[in-house]
Amino acid sequence: MHDDILYSIRKLVVEYTTRAGAVKAVDDVSLDIRRGEIIGLVGESGCGKSTLGKALMRLHTGPAKITEGELWFDGRDLMTLPIEEMPEIRGAEIGMVFQDPMTSLNPVQRILDHLTETIQTHEPEVSDADARTRAEELIERLGIRKERITEYPHQMSGGMRQRVMISLALALRAKLVIADEPTTSLDVIVEAKFLDLLKELQKEFGLTILLITHNIGVVAEISDRIAVMYAAKMMEVGDVNDVFAQPKHPYTQGLLRSVPNILLDGAELYKMAGAPPDLSHPPSGCRFHTRCPFVMDICREEVPPLEAIEGAQSAACWLYPSVMAKRLEKEHA
Amino acid sequence: MDNIGEHPPEITPPTETWEVELQKVSIVRRILNSRKWYGADWWFVAVSSVLVVIFIIIAIFPSLFAPYDPSALVGPSFLAPGAYPPVPELIVSNTSSANSLKDLAVTSDQPRPTISVVQGGNSAGALNDAAKEIDNQIKNESGGLRLRPVIDRYATVEEALQAVVDGKDTAAVVGSDEFVRLKAQYPTLREGESIAGGAKTAGGFLLGTNDIGQDVWSRLLWGTRVALIIGFSSSLLSLIIGVPLGLMAAFIGGSFDRLMSLLMDSMYAFPGLILAIAITAVLGPSVINVIVAIAVLYIPTYYRMVRGQTLAVKEDVYVEAARSIGARSREILQRYIFPNVIPSVAIIFSVNVADAILTGAGLAFLGLGLPPTIPDWGIDLARGQRFIQNAWWLITFPGLTILLVVLAFTLMGEGLMEIFNPKLRER
Amino acid sequence: MTPIGFVALIIGVPALILLGYVLITGSTGLRRYILTRIVLTLPMVIILGSLVFLVMRVVPGDPVQSALGPKGTPEMVQRIREQLGLNDPMIVQYGKFLVQMFTLRFGNSLIGGHRPIIDEMSERFPATLELITPASILALVLGIFGGAMAASHRKGAVDYVWRIYAVVIYSLPIFWLGLMLQLLFGVKLSWLPISGRIDPIIGTTLVHRTNIYTIDAIISGNWAALYSVLEHLILPTFTLGLILSGIFVRLTRINVIETLAMDYISAARARGIRERVLVYGHALKNALIPVITLIGLQVAILLAGAVLTETVFSWPGMGSYLVERISARDYTAVQSVIVVFALLVAMISLAVDVIYSLVDPRVRY
Repeated sequence: MHDDILYSIRKLVVEYTTRAGAVKAVDDVSLDIRRGEIIGLVGESGCGKSTLGKALMRLHTGPAKITEGELWFDGRDLMTLPIEEMPEIRGAEIGMVFQDPMTSLNPVQRILDHLTETIQTHEPEVSDADARTRAEELIERLGIRKERITEYPHQMSGGMRQRVMISLALALRAKLVIADEPTTSLDVIVEAKFLDLLKELQKEFGLTILLITHNIGVVAEISDRIAVMYAAKMMEVGDVNDVFAQPKHPYTQGLLRSVPNILLDGAELYKMAGAPPDLSHPPSGCRFHTRCPFVMDICREEVPPLEAIEGAQSAACWLYPSVMAKRLEKEHA
Repeated sequence: MDNIGEHPPEITPPTETWEVELQKVSIVRRILNSRKWYGADWWFVAVSSVLVVIFIIIAIFPSLFAPYDPSALVGPSFLAPGAYPPVPELIVSNTSSANSLKDLAVTSDQPRPTISVVQGGNSAGALNDAAKEIDNQIKNESGGLRLRPVIDRYATVEEALQAVVDGKDTAAVVGSDEFVRLKAQYPTLREGESIAGGAKTAGGFLLGTNDIGQDVWSRLLWGTRVALIIGFSSSLLSLIIGVPLGLMAAFIGGSFDRLMSLLMDSMYAFPGLILAIAITAVLGPSVINVIVAIAVLYIPTYYRMVRGQTLAVKEDVYVEAARSIGARSREILQRYIFPNVIPSVAIIFSVNVADAILTGAGLAFLGLGLPPTIPDWGIDLARGQRFIQNAWWLITFPGLTILLVVLAFTLMGEGLMEIFNPKLRER
Repeated sequence: MTPIGFVALIIGVPALILLGYVLITGSTGLRRYILTRIVLTLPMVIILGSLVFLVMRVVPGDPVQSALGPKGTPEMVQRIREQLGLNDPMIVQYGKFLVQMFTLRFGNSLIGGHRPIIDEMSERFPATLELITPASILALVLGIFGGAMAASHRKGAVDYVWRIYAVVIYSLPIFWLGLMLQLLFGVKLSWLPISGRIDPIIGTTLVHRTNIYTIDAIISGNWAALYSVLEHLILPTFTLGLILSGIFVRLTRINVIETLAMDYISAARARGIRERVLVYGHALKNALIPVITLIGLQVAILLAGAVLTETVFSWPGMGSYLVERISARDYTAVQSVIVVFALLVAMISLAVDVIYSLVDPRVRY
């Protein structure tokens, strides 16, 4: 176990029970999150990234379940813990920032109470006065005047509410912060400020951040690494600069090409043909093969594993010799 | 990387999605398949639908199931459930030589025999039937004997027996158990043969008889008819008035909407039963009046729901979008509003029928609404209350029936609601 | 002080204080909201009252004639009609009716000694109050607790038990439940009395101040009376309360389920808040807010149930009064009772709305 890997996700499978049977929203996904980094997890709607994020603290209820895999957080496999012990980790060691701060905050609870409840749930010995002091310090650090702490969520603006959400995730100095589409409901200017803030906090508190978003621009802004998901599977992982400069997986290539570039005057908007597959009946072999410009026979038949291609960059694509080599290894084994 | 610019290869057509597959499956299959998904709620709806159908059948053909006429005084009073009426027998004085009814036959010049019976109960009926039968037998025989007794009715067994002792009547016909009970008090009387007859009560009374000798079980079955007629008619009436009003209010808006909503909200907030009491008090007791009174009660429910849903859909973005591409109001109504409104109306209707039956029974219990000649559960309960000390079955069974019928309809509504309401489904 | 005055005092004074507090501390939005509600209550009462007025006037035949029966000569009928103002033009009658409604001066009973109706009501109304208050509390406690428990064990056995309970209770005719309880506890087991408010002999020792017998008994230290009243109160309260609880179980359950599905519950769970705290602390509290508004509507069911319960247990309250007066064709009394009910419903609706506005900070601030 490398010392600098905070969270190692191994072969995770998350299934939803639907009317049509079980659907795998996350299918055999592995990812290592390094201590202190900001890693962006991108993909289209429905690719499984939010499900993955929630699974990291075993937050699923109801029809969704983690059916396979290991979740090695800080040296232990969370899957081996009884579910009753998860609330101790949630909020304290792993924090989450949600997409819509309006609906993620309890409308009849004051901001103060949100914070003090979180603090006192994990540290019951803290007095009300101390908890309040800590809460006030926290929101001041995030740029909200401490007099506003007794307000209700609807009395604040969208940007402020999102900052409150961050403060909740940081209240107990969580090691890992999962940000699930944190800027989707914010306008561009507020979004920019938010990202700056995030970067600041990361440096100051030594946070590790998993940034889940469908907006590649946001990832480009602040992430160190990027992971690309498609149809419940991981397609490419690597350093942000490397992946943007030389995307290996055809899906990533298409994704980057789709971002409109204001400098390319008059060029047509590129659109990838086809649409994401139905996860209850996923295509055989590589999930992307139905839309891939480089599809080969093997792509239709076998699922490519995620392998290192060049340096720290990995991709799950039969085009690459290192991936193909792994398969030959297995054949000859 | 340069390959990106090239024309992407043929896309293999998507395999059939599960939605398409589902459509191909027959409706029976779908109902059975949905059982697994909906779990217990499916059972709620299934079981209650079966019950509802059973009740409807009973309501339409009560005579198929009811052994007796509900208003006829077919049995002795206060017979406990499952009991058979006592066999009536002939009681004569010790000095008489008669043993059976036939012995009492006389010629036309002799005075006709007088026989005392107790009012109500089955003795009188049995006597009548037996006498007629015997008379028919003997009238063609020689000797000119006829049996056409004069029947004297008394209020109690004691009076009937006393009449024989006093010589007012030739004989008495009373239930065998009654005579056994009182035998010691009338040492000058003895038992004769039992009277065959009253065969129609030989079947016994499944749930006993009430204070005047009517069969409880038959009354229960016949009561279904009134209850369901009231339930369905009033709900239908409410629906016919409430739904269009709601639609109009949502579409027309303005002062019509405000006024109507104020009126409906006031009515909705007011205790329904009390409003129904007032209306039936004014209109007088009859089934139609009860139906109208109860219908008035539920109009606001339909109105509010339809208006609310229509408004919500009307302002929904996709209706705006449809309008912007030129869809007309009628189309909007059909494609967007009805599919939302119809399941809700069905649920309300089901629960409405249940409620209407309850309210109707309540009204009858209070003595308002239904004329007392119609067999109804509420009326039976009110009557039964007077005899709570000795005849527990008179209040137990009618109430139980109300419960079962209302439960069937309510369960159906509950189950439908869980199935139709997506907000409550598992996330 | 008349009983009705006393009752009005113990309800009215705290209500006014509460109202004042709300109006002073609330935001302008809240103030406007409450004043609007008060203003809107007026039309509601007028509408209901007018409906009653209309309905009563539609009576075919002459109410006075049918009240007097065959004994009533045409002269007598005319005289009484004059007295009651029934020969005046409709508008005048309506005007007088409105005045009557707001001053609570209902006039005299048509039958039975021409007693002022208000006097009769001042005995009956507290009786109904004494019944519906503990019944409501029972219903609320049972209902809310059951609904929350059911919601937290969604699709489990507990959930189905409570749902079946709610459905069966809802389908249960209240008068039948009363009768069955009478049968079991009154007749077969002889543990409890089945009619009346108090043992008639003990009742003569009770000094009537408020006509709420429990309070009167406590005030005068009459413990025998208190015991008797409580004894008589058990079955009717239980009947009414049980039936009402079914509705609250259903309402609470649905609202808690919907609330549990809300994002802020997931977000709280993600912060490590325990499941039990989530259900009973957060979800229940939030779910109760819409339930409060719905409580206002349950008043209608409460009163309807009270009418039936009072009839079954011969409880001398407003409900049984209504039924008696209808059978006696005493239309003025019937009209008055319905008006009182309408006022009651309107007042409680208003009170509930005010409470709601206090509880939901979105409305308050």
